[in-house]
Amino acid sequence: MSEPLDLSTLDSALRNALSRLIITLADSKRLMGIRYSDWTLGAPSIETGVSTASMAQDEWGHARLLYAMLKGLDIDPGPVEYDRSGAEFASIAPLDHERGDWAGLVALMALADGALSTMLRSFAVGRVELAQNRVPKMLAEEEYHASLGSAWYRRLAETEGEARDLLTSASEEMLPALLAWVGADDASARAMVDAGVIDPAEDRLAAFRNAVRDLVSLVGINVDAVHAATDWDEARGRTGGRPDEEACERARGDRNRALLVE
Amino acid sequence: MSGGRDLWSAPLDEPPEDRVQGTWNLLQEVLDPEIPISLPELGLIYGVAYENGVARIDLTFTATACPCMEFIREDITDRLELEHWIDSVELVEVWDPPWTSERITPEGRDKLKKLGVSA
Repeated sequence: MSEPLDLSTLDSALRNALSRLIITLADSKRLMGIRYSDWTLGAPSIETGVSTASMAQDEWGHARLLYAMLKGLDIDPGPVEYDRSGAEFASIAPLDHERGDWAGLVALMALADGALSTMLRSFAVGRVELAQNRVPKMLAEEEYHASLGSAWYRRLAETEGEARDLLTSASEEMLPALLAWVGADDASARAMVDAGVIDPAEDRLAAFRNAVRDLVSLVGINVDAVHAATDWDEARGRTGGRPDEEACERARGDRNRALLVE
Repeated sequence: MSGGRDLWSAPLDEPPEDRVQGTWNLLQEVLDPEIPISLPELGLIYGVAYENGVARIDLTFTATACPCMEFIREDITDRLELEHWIDSVELVEVWDPPWTSERITPEGRDKLKKLGVSA
């Protein structure tokens, strides 16, 4: 394990880059939980619905731990979690909208959740001690998501007709944004690489492509030939767009905030 | 109130000579809210320290989104603070090493087995 960074001595550029990474991961986990929970009722089987409920729970646990990491940078996670507008959310683009079909959720599970795990693996072996300590538990829980996502992806890919077509189009839609995010090589990402917080962009990209190459080839996609999206937003650490307002209200817990009892 | 309080005894008449071991003993009375084995038996307690009336407990949870987190925190705090030699409890949430079922003690496994639960 790498020598931990002293977070209290980071220069402002690295501090901002690290907070951007943490917020992107945390926001994505929170939105991923919402997207899973949308299918708790209505999944193809009761068992699968229970699985989405369990995965939603995991994702919200991961979000909780990630937001709390901001304290290490002297950032109060409360306003970040509860007071930001949808335009300020930094979750990855494939989570912006509810998936209207099961194939879309399977693509999210296998590809978007997989991209998050790729970044978390890189973060876990870097020099941020909070990540070294917390992320391995998240990744252990993610193993089940990856197994289920892979199994469903293969099952749908082997069909002929609508299910396979929907899986293909969802995968084609998601991959450019995911490649842009995992392979980000802007000044913030490079600052983190130079400081040993995460692996170099080419290593992260290779890890992600290796993780999904065989799966997406089942629907005729060559991940090595897919180009990253070009609408990168360096300030937010994601590609363009924003999550829908309803998801943001749910992520913040707006409706029941008055009932929160500490 | 959770099932974590089912085995609580009355406060000790005298403080234990070894406050750390005494604290561990008290934690043996705090059960997981969902299954009737203690938190140490479940392997959730990673460390105990005691100094000047403050008991510090390093604990983890079986999952990052364990729905019983608040119950467990309250049960630990309330049980320990029953003792007149413990003024306050400091709970430190730790995730390293990650909890797995391998951390369940042999005693915990025996109890679970009697309940028909394999671990």
